[in-house]
Amino acid sequence: MKSRIYFSTALAGLLLLALAAGVQAQSGTPIPAPPQRWLTDAAGMLSPQVAEQLDARLQAYEQSSGRQVVVYIGKTTGGIPIEDWGVKAFESWRVGRKGLDDGLVMFVMAEDHRVRIEVGYGLEGQVPDAVASRIINDEMVPRLQQGDSDGAVAAAVDRLLAVISGDSGATGGGQVPPPASPPLTWFQKILVGMAILGFLILLITNPSLALYLLFTILSGGRGGGGRGGFSGGGGRSGGGGASGSW
Amino acid sequence: MKKFLLGPVGILIGLVVVLGLWVMSAYNGLVSLDQKALSQWAQVENVYQRRADLVPNLVETVKGAAAFEKDTFTAVTEARAKVGQVSLGGGANPAANPEAFAKFQQAQDGLSSALSRLLVVVEKYPELKATQNFRDLQVQLESTENRITVERMRFNEAAQAFNTKRMRFPTVIIANFLGTRYQEKAYFKAQAGAETAPKVQF
Repeated sequence: MKSRIYFSTALAGLLLLALAAGVQAQSGTPIPAPPQRWLTDAAGMLSPQVAEQLDARLQAYEQSSGRQVVVYIGKTTGGIPIEDWGVKAFESWRVGRKGLDDGLVMFVMAEDHRVRIEVGYGLEGQVPDAVASRIINDEMVPRLQQGDSDGAVAAAVDRLLAVISGDSGATGGGQVPPPASPPLTWFQKILVGMAILGFLILLITNPSLALYLLFTILSGGRGGGGRGGFSGGGGRSGGGGASGSW
Repeated sequence: MKKFLLGPVGILIGLVVVLGLWVMSAYNGLVSLDQKALSQWAQVENVYQRRADLVPNLVETVKGAAAFEKDTFTAVTEARAKVGQVSLGGGANPAANPEAFAKFQQAQDGLSSALSRLLVVVEKYPELKATQNFRDLQVQLESTENRITVERMRFNEAAQAFNTKRMRFPTVIIANFLGTRYQEKAYFKAQAGAETAPKVQF
């Protein structure tokens, strides 16, 4: 009897899995690889100068504030709602810093005529849904309807950056405090002590290997973000933001 | 000494140690997946609470312009009250208790359908729809529904990871031994009739 229950639940789980797989198979455009730049124009919607200028601006914004704001212009989501597509893309690109979740992605689908602003958990206070919606409906939609995609995206980026950096303290509803590292327990202290001891022994027996290890560990902490291309920092989003169409 | 090590007692001790280590790691794996599902459950409750918090504001705003739709307001208010009872009452964590889970989902689905009826009613009042206040509320409601979809999906994924581990052959013995605390988790199912979007007719 019991085993039958297990069997049927297992079957139900399998069905659910198959259903999920089916949905994924049917959902047209697969999520692209994480973008290399802050602004990606896969649909050729923007003029190259504007695209470059906005990309540089978003890059500079991340370097100064640490917050990752990304614009992705594609052709179509392939029939699935842009909200679902956007949240999946955000999840796979990991926009925003880990723990702070202060990323934001603006998706524009040229052929679908849909826009979506997906807000990371940590920015929901600065960019509430109504604000995101106004940016789409007041700044973007009128310009897009006139065929001014350069102006639409530029204005949206303008407003978004202003809103995000504006009153961060005033409406910090969704703010997550930066994770403070807790003090070490005695067990951890012993571990650290053992690691240091091991390193000292290695330093005496094989100094070049020890120095090499030290160098790799220290430089391993950096990388990502910063210079070069865009790379997601491990942020998450939960479907906050707004969408619109033109 | 050598005899003792190779003898049946030694083998038995070795087996017990191996078994103990295995039980420990299987149990710990179960606990960490359970905790993941529970924390994802907290997110689900969060976004549902967000929706419940929107309701009074929404009802007030609509009431001002559409005072005649009393039945609809009552339905929404009652559905919201039910949601409040389910969320706060009992102390039985729905993530770990299929019965409480079913009740929770039923109450939330009730609020969903009451809200969608309210939005259908609103279609009759274009002047209300044009106000900034109502538009903001509508955006918030839409985004909140979107958040609910996302967190529910993630809960289902976490529950599935837990259930898979829990029902696999050797682990299932330990899980059964632990009683109801580590029973299988329920999944969110699509609301009956949810695949057909509510029609707006004039």
